[in-house]
Amino acid sequence: MKKKMAYSVLGLALGTACIATAAAQTEQDRNSLPIPEPQTKKINVSDVRNAAPPERFEGKSPARRPNIVIILADDMGFSDMGSFGSEIKTPNLDSLAKDGVRFTNFYTHASSSPTRSMLLSGVDTHLNGLGNMNEMIAPNQRGVDGYEGNLNNRVVTLPQLLKDAGYHTYMAGKWHMGKKPDQIARARGFERDFSLLDGGGSYWDMKSASAVSPNSLFTEDGRYLTKLPKDYYATKTYTDKLIGYIDANRGDGKPFFAYVAHQAPHDPYHLPRDWRNRHPREYDKGWDAVRAERLKRQKEMGIMPPDTELAERMWFIPDPIVLAPAPLYILGKKMELYAGMVENMDFHVGRLIDHLKEIGEYENTIFICFGDNGAEGTDLFGMIAGAQGSRDNLFAAIHWSWTHPNAWGEPGTWVGYGPMWAQVSMTPFSQYKGWLAEGGIHNALLVSGPVVKRTKGSINHGVMHVADLMPTLLEVAGTSYPKTYQGHEVPPLYGKSWVPMLAGQTDSPRTKDDHLAWEVFGNRAVRQGDWKLRWQIKPFGKSDWELFNLAADPTERKDLAQERPDKLKELVVLWDQYVRTNNVILPNRTLFDTMEKDMPQRVTVYPGFPPLIYNKQFEPPKDMMADPKP
Amino acid sequence: MKNKRILMKSVVRLWLVVIAVLAVEAFCPPQSLAQLPPRFYWKSLSGGNGVPLIFESISGNTNPFDPADTVTANADFEATMALMGYAKTFPLFNRAAFAAVIVPMGRISGEVTVNGKTSKQSAEGFGDPMLEFDINLIGPPAQMNIPDILLYQPGFSVDLLVDLTLPIGEYDSDKQLNIGMNRWYGRIGMPIIWQLGLWVPGQRTTLELLPSLWLYGDNNDFVGQTMKTDPKFQMDAHLTRDFTKSFWGSLDGTWFYGGKTSINGVEGEELNSVGLGLTLGYQINDNLGLTFGYKSTVNDSDPEDLRMNMFMVSLVFGWHPIIEGMNRLKGEF
Repeated sequence: MKKKMAYSVLGLALGTACIATAAAQTEQDRNSLPIPEPQTKKINVSDVRNAAPPERFEGKSPARRPNIVIILADDMGFSDMGSFGSEIKTPNLDSLAKDGVRFTNFYTHASSSPTRSMLLSGVDTHLNGLGNMNEMIAPNQRGVDGYEGNLNNRVVTLPQLLKDAGYHTYMAGKWHMGKKPDQIARARGFERDFSLLDGGGSYWDMKSASAVSPNSLFTEDGRYLTKLPKDYYATKTYTDKLIGYIDANRGDGKPFFAYVAHQAPHDPYHLPRDWRNRHPREYDKGWDAVRAERLKRQKEMGIMPPDTELAERMWFIPDPIVLAPAPLYILGKKMELYAGMVENMDFHVGRLIDHLKEIGEYENTIFICFGDNGAEGTDLFGMIAGAQGSRDNLFAAIHWSWTHPNAWGEPGTWVGYGPMWAQVSMTPFSQYKGWLAEGGIHNALLVSGPVVKRTKGSINHGVMHVADLMPTLLEVAGTSYPKTYQGHEVPPLYGKSWVPMLAGQTDSPRTKDDHLAWEVFGNRAVRQGDWKLRWQIKPFGKSDWELFNLAADPTERKDLAQERPDKLKELVVLWDQYVRTNNVILPNRTLFDTMEKDMPQRVTVYPGFPPLIYNKQFEPPKDMMADPKP
Repeated sequence: MKNKRILMKSVVRLWLVVIAVLAVEAFCPPQSLAQLPPRFYWKSLSGGNGVPLIFESISGNTNPFDPADTVTANADFEATMALMGYAKTFPLFNRAAFAAVIVPMGRISGEVTVNGKTSKQSAEGFGDPMLEFDINLIGPPAQMNIPDILLYQPGFSVDLLVDLTLPIGEYDSDKQLNIGMNRWYGRIGMPIIWQLGLWVPGQRTTLELLPSLWLYGDNNDFVGQTMKTDPKFQMDAHLTRDFTKSFWGSLDGTWFYGGKTSINGVEGEELNSVGLGLTLGYQINDNLGLTFGYKSTVNDSDPEDLRMNMFMVSLVFGWHPIIEGMNRLKGEF
């Protein structure tokens, strides 16, 4: 009797909750998402055993959709993977390159959160809330839509749409797009997450660099963590968590979208001890030699054209051959640590790959791997804590003051490798993270998996952008970008789908007429076809428009603004159009405003100048040498 | 975004690190003929120089100038010693090595018993100079440049040590109490350093052991008699730990065994003594290091037991041409 009553209650519950979905099997309208559940009749039977089950409602999609794994490295440079010319050993990332395609003309933004926001929203930064980084919002940008400093609620995210389309959505790693409860990963579409909300910090604990915000914030499945798991090490833990999420839902038939946003190799270079000394003294040769070696390999591989010239060594960086052994060792040791960071990350990427192979999901998984911006050449820690007598300097003295090379990698050490090695990471390009020279935004990209029909191990030079991921992955998942989401309009997509290109139908998602544009910290750039327009504040730029032909001059050595005023004008028109379309508000205050006064005056760097410090000891002919006469 | 300045700051910081490392690990000769100080066998840049100046105040029932530690029952000696020396580090077969000469000097006084009669004696002047040679056998190669200093970590290091003392110090054959010993003696040993944990100034921890064997010639004119001493085994142990980058401390232990002395065939007691001590060290500046130590024998209540306690203050001045040149250039650019 009790059993019958239970069935009746359940039947009533089902009757009010279950939904028949005949409509779902017809063509679905994806302009407005989530697709509303169809109205259905209530089932009016008292015994559930007599009720016909409603037709299941679900997003319509291909029979077996691929899993998607995005591996985002933080501050990894264009040339830091072995498959892009590096001496750093990245066998696991290289295996993805071998199984997939390397892309040599892929663009991100120049800094962390703007790139991440475009990755997950597909919308330009000035519309998605990261018109400026949260840490750098200018007085005239405060309170303006698009400049919230976090991923705003006007955009819909990739995980939200994939989840609606029947994907599991997992994230582990750095979020950096908001800390409030409605801004964190769980609130923006990830079913499971283990997230560092800040832009960086210790890899070993919750220590941050700043006294005003001394603890890094983490969330796990939407809850703010009071402490970190035992044996926490960022790169390892993120991988462990992600593998755990994947395993937890294995077998339910749903594909997954896994976003692992590694903190590595962002400074501080925190590393387990056995990863710190794998390149002993290898970088004592100096940055110029390593850059030359990388470019040579890039040419041999076909990553860069054979006539590519290295970008000029930046004017404030010394020629390493004039340095004494000690600074060469110390500065080289920093690069050793950095190489270890990349190799350790590669090791954990390998763990994820191996796991997917073990559970039989590798062949059905798309891997997309890239760095979030150019390599970091700015002394971030020095910017925060460098001023003696400051609050943050005192904080650093207490928490971050282990400066001896033998301590590097331990908690309490903060090592970044400086502009000279950042230029190496960005070989052959000019400048680095934070700037809109190619060294700030041009990154290496690997894509592999079932949607890639191009020749395995091949290289493609099509112009691509991080915002392309949204339309690409929605197409892969069999869904599309809506015009409205949860009742409100969403901004238009900025990118273009790669699917035809990955299928080998085209060589690039863009034509020569398509253009891309960037703005951050007041610096600006436009790329259309082979041409690039750039405005950067002095001394990194000219505080005026510069023009480069990237086909002939990929490393931006020759400004053609004077020679090609017609092309300059064309691109400025595109820039103006970009400003209007995306509500670009140039900041009225940036950290760069006093840079020209603070830095050495910019000069052209000519190898071997001045001869005064390069001319070697003259050796007279031996037969003309003699002892002094008495 | 002050990259140039940041780079230069980084390099300047580097030099400071280099200087500090060299100075902290500068050569530090022994303050006592009986026991070498902790951290004595840490290696530094080849071509370095060291001059120690060590003051010791010692009391006990053995002559502290006597490496045989011959016990005189019921005696009470008081000694004030100074040791000065010079040491040079150099590479030998790509191994770190050093050679040193140490000259003891000072005065000693106390009551001694001869043929049942007790009398007060004293002595002063220069003692027997000691030559010392050490070469590393297992461990990092010799440090030939500044990066080598930064790379130095002892890990598990083993050296070969040879000491030889020349019998040319002040000696009066009519007295039992002397500063010179009137005989050749020396030792061979194997200094061992076992690095515990990271090698970072401020965090360094070591366990250091020095097993050694003292060998003695005969003194054929010890108050007209012949003094012979059997070989003596000595084990020194130090557990050292940085408190800060410049300040460190050590728990010290010594064990003597053997070394039975006979005078005209009349055998004395075999030594089997343990001493414990503490040492504190501080690096005053790039060139000058200071240590303060106290050592005392334990379980020494029996008159035949070795009894000795010692306060020691040492100043060690170290220099290297590269470091001196760098110091001269400070402020020039």
